[in-house]
Amino acid sequence: MSDNHSVIGRSVPRIDGPEKVSGAAKYTGDLKFPNMLYGKILTSPHAHARILSIDTSEAERLPGVKAVITHKDVPTLKYGLSPARWDESIFCSDKVRFVGDKVAAVACLDEDTCYKALKLIKVEYEVLPAALDFLHAMDEGQPQVHEEYARNINTEIHQEFGDVAKALAEAHHVRTDTFVGQRTYQSPIEPHSAISMWDAEKLTIYSSTQSPHYFQHYIAREFDMPMGDVRIIKPYLGGGFGGKLEPTGLEFAGAVLAKLTGRPVRTFYDRAEMFAHNRGRHAQYMEITTGVDKNGKILAAKANFLMDGGAYTSLGIASAYYAGALLPLTYEFDNYQFDMFRVYTNLPACGAQRGHGAPQPKYAFESHLDNVAADLGIDPMDIRIINARRPNTVTPNDFRVNSCKIKECLERVRVMSDWDEKKKNLPLGRGIGVATGSFVTGAGYPIYRTDLPHAAAFIKVCEDGTAATLYTGSVDIGQGSDTVLCQMAAEAMGYRYEQMKIVAADTEITPLDFGAYASRQTYMSGAAVKQAGEEVKRQILEMASVMLGLPADDLDCDDGKIFSKSRNGKSLSFEEVARKHFVLRGPLLGRGSYTPPKLGGSFKGAAVGTSPAYSFGAQVGEVAIDEETGEITVVGIWDVHDCGKVINPRLLHGQVHGALYMGMGEAVWEEVLFDDKGRIKNAELANYRLLTALDMPPITSEVVDSYEPSGPWGVKEVGEGATNPTLGMFSNAIFDAMGVRVNSLPLSYEKVWRALKEKREREEDAGRERDAKRGAGAPRETDAATQPVYATPS
Amino acid sequence: MAQAITDKDGVKRYLITLNVNGDVHTVLVKGNAILTNVLRDQLDLTGTKKGCELGDCGSCTVLLDGKPVDSCLVLAVEADGRRITTIEGVAENGRLDAIQQSMINHAAVQCGYCTPGMVLSAKALLTRNPHPSEQEVREAISGNLCRCTGYVHIVEAVLATAQGRVTPDDH
Amino acid sequence: MYVPDFEYHAPETVAEACAILAELGDRATVLAGGTDVLHKMKVGKLAPEHLVSLKHLDELREIREEPGRVVIGALTSHNQIYTSQLLQRRYLSLPMAAHTMASNQICNLGTVGGNIVNGVPSADLPPILIALDASIRLVSAKGERTMPLEDFFWGSAQTRMEPGEILTEISIPDQQTTGSTYLKFGLRRSGALAVAAAAVSVRVSGDTLHGVRIVLASAAPTVLRVAEAERSLIGRRIDDELLAQASRPRDSIRGSADYRRNLVAVLTKRALKKAIDEGHA
Repeated sequence: MSDNHSVIGRSVPRIDGPEKVSGAAKYTGDLKFPNMLYGKILTSPHAHARILSIDTSEAERLPGVKAVITHKDVPTLKYGLSPARWDESIFCSDKVRFVGDKVAAVACLDEDTCYKALKLIKVEYEVLPAALDFLHAMDEGQPQVHEEYARNINTEIHQEFGDVAKALAEAHHVRTDTFVGQRTYQSPIEPHSAISMWDAEKLTIYSSTQSPHYFQHYIAREFDMPMGDVRIIKPYLGGGFGGKLEPTGLEFAGAVLAKLTGRPVRTFYDRAEMFAHNRGRHAQYMEITTGVDKNGKILAAKANFLMDGGAYTSLGIASAYYAGALLPLTYEFDNYQFDMFRVYTNLPACGAQRGHGAPQPKYAFESHLDNVAADLGIDPMDIRIINARRPNTVTPNDFRVNSCKIKECLERVRVMSDWDEKKKNLPLGRGIGVATGSFVTGAGYPIYRTDLPHAAAFIKVCEDGTAATLYTGSVDIGQGSDTVLCQMAAEAMGYRYEQMKIVAADTEITPLDFGAYASRQTYMSGAAVKQAGEEVKRQILEMASVMLGLPADDLDCDDGKIFSKSRNGKSLSFEEVARKHFVLRGPLLGRGSYTPPKLGGSFKGAAVGTSPAYSFGAQVGEVAIDEETGEITVVGIWDVHDCGKVINPRLLHGQVHGALYMGMGEAVWEEVLFDDKGRIKNAELANYRLLTALDMPPITSEVVDSYEPSGPWGVKEVGEGATNPTLGMFSNAIFDAMGVRVNSLPLSYEKVWRALKEKREREEDAGRERDAKRGAGAPRETDAATQPVYATPS
Repeated sequence: MAQAITDKDGVKRYLITLNVNGDVHTVLVKGNAILTNVLRDQLDLTGTKKGCELGDCGSCTVLLDGKPVDSCLVLAVEADGRRITTIEGVAENGRLDAIQQSMINHAAVQCGYCTPGMVLSAKALLTRNPHPSEQEVREAISGNLCRCTGYVHIVEAVLATAQGRVTPDDH
Repeated sequence: MYVPDFEYHAPETVAEACAILAELGDRATVLAGGTDVLHKMKVGKLAPEHLVSLKHLDELREIREEPGRVVIGALTSHNQIYTSQLLQRRYLSLPMAAHTMASNQICNLGTVGGNIVNGVPSADLPPILIALDASIRLVSAKGERTMPLEDFFWGSAQTRMEPGEILTEISIPDQQTTGSTYLKFGLRRSGALAVAAAAVSVRVSGDTLHGVRIVLASAAPTVLRVAEAERSLIGRRIDDELLAQASRPRDSIRGSADYRRNLVAVLTKRALKKAIDEGHA
């Protein structure tokens, strides 16, 4: 297909760049309104406790306190992000379910008074035993987090495709491995914040939200208001990564405080409160079994998982399904079984975090695959190429894959990273590992059941054509959607990016868009934008045809000029044509919308994981381990992605860098830690270790030439796909460096050191000499704890 | 010692002078007022951000007498009489500084929340060391946490600026 | 976040500061760079009635050479120590230790005096200062005293600071050490507290170790000088066996997991090698 595009495919500078670099960009917490109050939420100090009484009288008497509210003052309708499970209340009334659960809120003249007022609210608790260990949450006699959900089971999944037992029986080699992941947290640098205000019966909330639409929908539902009377506006937003996808106490309590006081109320979380609110990554216990033939081709796979959901559902039902749904994407096999329990615990609720349920399972699968490769004496790169999915195939769980270049990604990353050379020659203590990843390009189905389009857009060309404004409900959370969509609008219209303006993410002004999650916007919002742009272009060409006296189908518009395709001669500027249109025909507008086709199978949970397109990628990482301390130095990372047509190369690579940065942190450095009372020990950024500029290795990011036929200009996603391989890649690189595997995340220095120490002691005990070098294809030492299980041939 | 005023409830406030971006402001602050909050709430300079309020993330970075500091750990009264540069003071008369332009062109800005602090740390570095090595650049910004970029384009942008370029090599 | 209210004082001279502290006793906390005090106040660990700021005491911000010693004012920031050409020339290990302290922003605010007086076992400057045989000067309304920094710490993050005292300066005596270094093990490359750290100074002549000081951080409730290990090394020939032996800790390290014990051993061995081979580095 032709690649002469004027606007897309160029690394144009971000449309919001100047605002952000100059400090002019206003985030929710930067906004001030006349008469504004400050609000804060009182949270539970206990992981599990009955509320016996709440006495707000002293707080109410404190000068500067304008309102104090508890469950008596707010709607009691339970809410949540997953329609199948509305289990949260604005304020707890009978009991609190985690340290950080919401109990009351205050609105005051200033922040200081808020903190003082919270301290004066007297809550009497009866402390209950808490379920803090997800591995045992389903055991008999465990405290029940929600009485209605027996054995603390939030979600239970049993899926089977093909005939797994038969395939395993026929396999040359069957192996099972177990891995455990950890809780991590998105920790965007901008804290959550919301400003609520009422104008008669209309509620407006400025919020640090990834989806004004979902906020609008759920807030309208909670307050039993027509959606049209709820306006959600997203100002600039400082990172979301999935944690800002659902309305929080800040919006719900803030709205009530604003109603009671008749004044705007800004509510906010500080960093510790953000950690408690969470909605971050689920820790998972994962058992992976595969059966392969003698060449390492996977014949069947079984995934048996348990995930820690925390105290509420959030988006966790989808997370639970995603955990298993995406595993069959990168490798082709027909027989697949997925079993999952998502359990409640008395800990902060987990939700969707970049990669949504899939990164830890991928870590498990990729680590397992390397173990299998080692058992068979196959190079890890080769075993992946053997299994790599081909384009235009269907997964066992009914996902249709159109474009797929995972094989090309593997082949390219192999060369880029100098894989073969290094696999042969890296000394002990240095290692290289590979992993693949895949992700949905937008979810096939919305979060709640609706037949509305997933995205809509309109474009208004101003009366003299010197600017065109794109109106989109999509949300730029830093990934650059505002920029990319303006590029797409300009491309579709034949206009110039530099003249584009954008109004986004205001439910009163911009049309419906589900927002920034599941990596949907370039494709889905882009499809709507493309349609809108094409409608503008059609009208422009019609008008120009009149002005030039040429048939419209002989004309084209590009880079702001309308010209005849067949003959040289007069051309017109977009501006003059647009102006003429306005004079003769009124406002020049274009509209577009996008609804995905009906996707997926008809089994329970089939919807989750469906997508009109899937991205693919392969990552290689090289590490050096200091055997004496376990310290891991990342020497380099190489990433090759198949994300379809690239609209803005620099922004795209920035997304790859950021995604694998998060994956890297989760691989070795990040973990949310709790004490035995369910309190977070490291709810701050000194001990929850986000990597600094000094920690990052050189990263080389490339894309393969790819085109997704179902998407606008062939685009696919990249924002979450590049987190998917990272955990497994690190696990494999460290395994390669040490010859022994750490089976739990994070792969901390201490765990690495201990694994090496135990290995050394085992070797000393066995009296074996250690190889200093490894030849290619030489049998690897397998860890005694992970001896393979050989199937008896039938 | 700054002049102190006590109100009828016994609350003491101090009259301090802050030279912010070349503008001299006289403000009335309580003893426990944090510089970040005074800049944002009293002077309406919201470019300086609050990310952690404990000196761990660097999004509150300002230059204090030319040196990058976490303003969230500085009492306003401690900054009395001193010269402060916030992100709003980097562009001159609306013209972006080279480091700012470079950051845009290198796509070193994503969500933008760490950007003000990052720009100030980078600008301070280039002022004291016009030709830093990559290691020195990383050291200079290691106190500015970014969750979006992995720092790759940021380091590129700073090094490019040091080389007199504001556009990427591959442009 | 919430910062509790307090009465603020900003004395113009050391004498004035001491007078205020003498009057207020333990109702007052001294404010130097603020990175520890403000942090503690924000997380609810400290709520002093009075804060006595040392910001006007410019004479405590000098680094100077005097006959027989190098003097570092207590209010010198970590970055001032890092960039001090005098210290880089005389004892490079100290600027390098100051550089590992924390981020650039914290290093511009935090002071060496604060780092010492705060007394936490993970503090980065006390170990190298002790390895360099530093002493400190404490001033109060009652007079002044000096003591070896080594004697300043005891028990669980406790110091021998008396009420009403201000730490004014740190002295490093001219010495015959040929090398020193501070090695810190953190869990990321910036903004990391020491999980374990070792500071050493050595006096090497020919291939013999004539003098050695080994000071461990984060290995015990307080910074710890490992006298027994030192004694076993003195007068010995420098070889790999010596270094290996030095790293077998004989003093018990209370409250540490075996990982920390291991780290401390590894860091001691590496620090000795570096100080022997590279001088003050």
